[in-house]
Amino acid sequence: MALSGMRGLSVFISDIRNCPNKEQERLRVDKELGNIRTRFKNEKGLSPYEKKKYVWKMLYIYMLGYDVDFGHMEAVSLISAPKYPEKQVGYIVTSCLLNENHDFLRLAINTVRNDIIGRNETFQCLALTMVGNIGGREFAESLAPDVQKLIISSSCRPLVRKKAALCLLRLYRKNPDVVNVDGWADRMAQLLDERDLGVLTSSMSLLVALVSNNHEAYWSCLPKCVKILERLARNQDVPQEYTYYGIPSPWLQVKTMRALQYFPTVEDPNTRRSLFEVLQRILMGTDVVKNVNKNNASHAVLFEALALVMHLDAEKEMMSQCIALLGKFIAVREPNIRYLGLENMTRMLMVTDVHDIIKRHQAQIITSLKDPDISIRRRALDLLYGMCDVSNAKDIVEELLQYLSTADFAMREELSLKAAILAEKFAPDLSWYVDVILQLIDKAGDFVSDDIWFRVVQFVTNNEDLQPYAAAKAREYLDKPAIHETMVKVSAYLLGEYSHLLARRPGCSPKEIFSIIHEKLPTVSMSTVAILLSTYAKILMHTQPADPELQNQIWTIFNKYESCIEVEIQQRAVEYFALSRKGVALMDILAEMPKFPERQSSLIKKAEDVEVDTAEQSAIKLRAQQQQTSTALVVADQSSANGTSPVNQLGLVKVPSMSSSVDHNSTDPGMAQPNGTLTKVDPQPQPPSPSPSPDLLGDLLGPLAIEGPPVAGESEQNVVSGLEGVAAVDAAAIVPVTVQTNAVEPIGNIAERFHALCLKDSGVLYEDPYVQIGIKAEWRGHHGRLVLFLGNKNTSPLFSVQALILPPSHLKMELSLVPETIPPRAQVQCPLEVMNLRPSRDVAVLDFSYKFNTNMVNVKLRLPAVLNKFLQPITVSAEEFFPQWRSLSGPPLKLQEVVRGVRPMPLLEMANLFNSCHLIVCPGLDPNPNNLVASTTFYSESTRAMLCLTRIETDPADRTQLRMTVASGDPTLTFELKEFIKEQLVSIPTAPRPPAPAPAAPSNDPGAMLAGLL
Amino acid sequence: MPVAASAIYFLNLRGDVLINRLYRDDVGGNMVDAFRTHIMQTKELGTCPVRQIGGCSFFYMRISNVYIVIVVSSNANVACAFKFVVEAVALFKSYFGGAFDEDAIRNNFVLIYELLDEIMDFGYPQNLSPEILKLYITQEGVRSPFSSKPTDRPVPNATLQVTGAVGWRREGLVYKKNEVFLDIVESVNLLMSSKGSVLRCDVTGKILMKCFLSGMPDLKLGLNDKIGLEKESQLKSRPTKSGKTIELDDVTFHQCVNLTRFNSEKTVSFVPPDGEFELMKYRITEGVNLPFRVLPTIKELGRTRMEVNVKIKSVFGAKMFALGVVIKIPVPKQTAKTSFQVTSGRAKYNASIDCLVWKIRKFPGQTEPTMSAEVELISTMAEKKSWTRPPIQMEFQVPMFTASGLRVRFLKVWEKSGYNTVEWVRYITKAGSYEIRLAS
Repeated sequence: MALSGMRGLSVFISDIRNCPNKEQERLRVDKELGNIRTRFKNEKGLSPYEKKKYVWKMLYIYMLGYDVDFGHMEAVSLISAPKYPEKQVGYIVTSCLLNENHDFLRLAINTVRNDIIGRNETFQCLALTMVGNIGGREFAESLAPDVQKLIISSSCRPLVRKKAALCLLRLYRKNPDVVNVDGWADRMAQLLDERDLGVLTSSMSLLVALVSNNHEAYWSCLPKCVKILERLARNQDVPQEYTYYGIPSPWLQVKTMRALQYFPTVEDPNTRRSLFEVLQRILMGTDVVKNVNKNNASHAVLFEALALVMHLDAEKEMMSQCIALLGKFIAVREPNIRYLGLENMTRMLMVTDVHDIIKRHQAQIITSLKDPDISIRRRALDLLYGMCDVSNAKDIVEELLQYLSTADFAMREELSLKAAILAEKFAPDLSWYVDVILQLIDKAGDFVSDDIWFRVVQFVTNNEDLQPYAAAKAREYLDKPAIHETMVKVSAYLLGEYSHLLARRPGCSPKEIFSIIHEKLPTVSMSTVAILLSTYAKILMHTQPADPELQNQIWTIFNKYESCIEVEIQQRAVEYFALSRKGVALMDILAEMPKFPERQSSLIKKAEDVEVDTAEQSAIKLRAQQQQTSTALVVADQSSANGTSPVNQLGLVKVPSMSSSVDHNSTDPGMAQPNGTLTKVDPQPQPPSPSPSPDLLGDLLGPLAIEGPPVAGESEQNVVSGLEGVAAVDAAAIVPVTVQTNAVEPIGNIAERFHALCLKDSGVLYEDPYVQIGIKAEWRGHHGRLVLFLGNKNTSPLFSVQALILPPSHLKMELSLVPETIPPRAQVQCPLEVMNLRPSRDVAVLDFSYKFNTNMVNVKLRLPAVLNKFLQPITVSAEEFFPQWRSLSGPPLKLQEVVRGVRPMPLLEMANLFNSCHLIVCPGLDPNPNNLVASTTFYSESTRAMLCLTRIETDPADRTQLRMTVASGDPTLTFELKEFIKEQLVSIPTAPRPPAPAPAAPSNDPGAMLAGLL
Repeated sequence: MPVAASAIYFLNLRGDVLINRLYRDDVGGNMVDAFRTHIMQTKELGTCPVRQIGGCSFFYMRISNVYIVIVVSSNANVACAFKFVVEAVALFKSYFGGAFDEDAIRNNFVLIYELLDEIMDFGYPQNLSPEILKLYITQEGVRSPFSSKPTDRPVPNATLQVTGAVGWRREGLVYKKNEVFLDIVESVNLLMSSKGSVLRCDVTGKILMKCFLSGMPDLKLGLNDKIGLEKESQLKSRPTKSGKTIELDDVTFHQCVNLTRFNSEKTVSFVPPDGEFELMKYRITEGVNLPFRVLPTIKELGRTRMEVNVKIKSVFGAKMFALGVVIKIPVPKQTAKTSFQVTSGRAKYNASIDCLVWKIRKFPGQTEPTMSAEVELISTMAEKKSWTRPPIQMEFQVPMFTASGLRVRFLKVWEKSGYNTVEWVRYITKAGSYEIRLAS
């Protein structure tokens, strides 16, 4: 070892080790650091040996956790030493002390490069290791080409090439630009032809990283990967040192299969066949053996193979084979293997449609529920929960109920929740459901949340047939000696509501029911007492004519609870007591509960929450989602090749069904999926905000067009979205090509929308069956920022989208780039900057056009950047107002006009209108109550901030005329503002101009026709 | 009475528990582990004597190589807790007869347990006076064989001691030679700005006595303090002598001092306990005579060189001298080489405290030795982190000098038998935190 012979260093280390406490250690270290500083500062310089020794000491101190902020220079300079020991120290210490952003690294780059391109392979290895450890942009830029050369050089030993591949991997991870995709893909493919397994393993790691980023460029590597797998699976040409317990390089196998999973599919039939052969071989060849290490290795390979099988969406036989294998695993005794078996089976369940095959193993899974290992029990429970459907629900739920009484306390809550959900979801008949839940409460009352029994009550209330049955059941449970409080609650509620239905049965007279419920009263908590009081009131209500004895009993109880400390109970007692004195009138008030509105089971929601908590589940979900996108892509590929194979069909049906089983809540797979797949492949320039938030889309599109024009059913939607670019071509081939403009009718009145937006800052500007344009504006002084939300309501993209702004002379407007294509169901935001130069009433126009299928649509829309947007309300007091008002005397600064034909409106409404135009009405300035005085500030570049004052004198006798006086410091402004206010007052803003897109001849496009019908 | 402790632990520097005593059950037994992992093994040790971890407060203090940790979970009185620790240590010392350290604790487990039981009850401090406790807990500490053998004492009459008027003194003491030793010990705290103006300056002093007197003597002490002198001048209706009078602040007395007489006559009169005790403590903030003036100049010549010049002037009488003067001049952490020129004493660079240490063993009054040093720094990675320039610190002792100017005017002893006594008076001034800031 290089340390031998360095006495100073070992003395120092033993000193440190002998320190009895931290403080002394610090003193010793500080002393040593002082010494090292003195040595490094020595004018005479140090011999290489001394330098090496002190640098080692520095590293040791650094590793102890002390700051070492000097001496880096010495460490770096050692790199260029000619001898190995010094060079080694230099490299090691540099890679420990410096990080990628350190300036000193620049000094080293040249030396490192010389070592890398040099002939000495130990030096090469040292250099590559350090570069790999530090990484960083500077290294990447200057050294990546040399490292790449090393990987493919034929003259290097495998050892060096291995290190070079790993080094490049590290550089690539930090900085993906280092690998030039075009040039490198071929070399990567060449690299995979390598015989040496070590180099191959390293390059496979590199490939996995490359492919995960961009699989398209590396298609050529796919067959090679399959070849490698074949070679390993057949155990051809695998040297002894790369076999691990008889398994040929399991690491390489796993990595290769991982890389294959990044490719969406395997197209070439030959490759596909040979890949399946290999997978088959792996599936067949793996068995459980005694040796733990061998098991670990072979199972790592196997489970990766399973993942690949699932990914490739293999034929049913292969799937069933996989499941058979997993079935074998869950039958073995070794807990780890069993766990993995169950876990993978659950995963399979999520991904593929293999319920029936898995069901065969139901018995075995149920046995696993009794395993001593809790993690296995949990897996088994998950699996059972996942595989449950109508056919086996009864068995499974019964099994779960049985298991409940012996289950671990930690699991009971989850277990009871799951049992309740399954019972609800797959109940063959409702009485069975009630039975199950009551049993559940009976057996594990502590773990049954309130939601569960609320749900029972909902069901019973909504199903009249069920009511007597449920009441009778509840009565039965009350006979048991010790029952759980939840059971008391649910029974009391049910009997209160429905006991009268049982009145004829023996032991079910109101009195008996009352007494049996009343027995429980002393033992229950306050919340239950409240329910019991309601029950008593109901019983009392149902016994008409009243039984005086029962009535007295119940009244005594109410009396007693009238002074209860709990407000809720007190109130109930007082109210029930008062009500029950009303006799028959009670009937109306305490009548039977009405039916509940149908709602989503809160249980399922809760279960989802629970699932999200466990990282495991979320991983599975993620995986399922990935799978979803990838299957969608598979479909796209095959249909573009005009193949409608059974696999394709399978894929189509699968996606929605799976999504409903995996993901119950809001994220609509149809929405999420195209968004996900599109952003990757979209050749068009990305919209300014590449990820339109689903909220916004939902907000704007939501209320009006949730479904879009019903062009296709859901499954078809998936095809279309999956196809994307191809879809357009296909559609063009089917539909006769007739390019037509303005074939669409806008939804809603454009003019009204415009006028509404003049007074508001956000809303919808325009809408037709295909597109919706929303606006959101912010105004500050004479600047404004509008954001146009262009939303595509359809499942196919909109093409040739164009938006042009025609600004009037007084506005300066800049619209940011509008993308040419709007992806399906996506929303694009286009910010628009506005600057007001001077006062004017002219309006800017947006010329918007797009193409849907073959229809060209063009609309001209007025933009709500009007005069009042540049007003900012300001309140002025009388002292400020009157001097101003007086100083602005006579035209052109102060203009007066009598306006006739005013839309009649009360004064208050007029004040509101003024306020919404940012003219703030100042009450009390004018003594006449029929007059309005308003003030505001106008902003433009020419006028800057300018105060504007307005006075309106109305005639209470004739609301259609008024006298208006407007004053400001700028003549144009005064005039324009006066005219603006006049416009607002005079007419109800009704479509001053016809909507631009005139209704055109009926189109040939079925979608458009349907939309027209709607 | 406030709670002072729920548990007390004695730990060595490694964090092992030497001895512990739980007074209340509101803290867990493993709380000391929290102390070890969260305080001892971090850099924060010594920065903050009170820390809170997991609902418990830890008050700790290091005495030689022992940490004394008090754990409480309630809102305890911190000052009381620390005072308790200090007093307890003084008590242990008087039992062990000398040092209080890890070895002493290991040698006296039984005694310590017994004392811990006695001095605190359910978290409330009890009597900590060594004189009294030695009456009940007669177990001797294990002394090193070299220390003198304890003299055989008559069995004390414990009840009389506890109930009697003079609880701190036994009756019937007889000495062949009646002697009184009185020491005035002052420590000067100073913080001086780089420009030489005093930012903070005060003196804390205490009067320590050692009495070997027979019988029940009554002592009377006169100092040149303001209150006493004014009173005297009133009584005797004659003007005070010219000369300085000292204003004492925050005076606290030993319990033996008769406070009623102090309030009425303004004289310190008392019946002393036998042996050593602290008669009074005081503080002065005005009119402090600083024994030393320090004039530092530090020049940074570029990034890697510094020139340090320090001149020290002793301003006490030329006949006096200071002992053990140490001046610590801080230098940046990256100091690599130093070279010195001193006119007296010795200087060297100490890397573990990042200071130039200049030691002068004997420093006569009215002299001004100088030191000039050249410091070479090594260049570092962290250039932006500038040197914080901590202040210069100084340690010294000046015998027969009081920074406050306090003098003993008289010390009178009366006893029924009227024996003669010998009185010895000493003065000494030490450095407390004597700091001089560097110009930045």
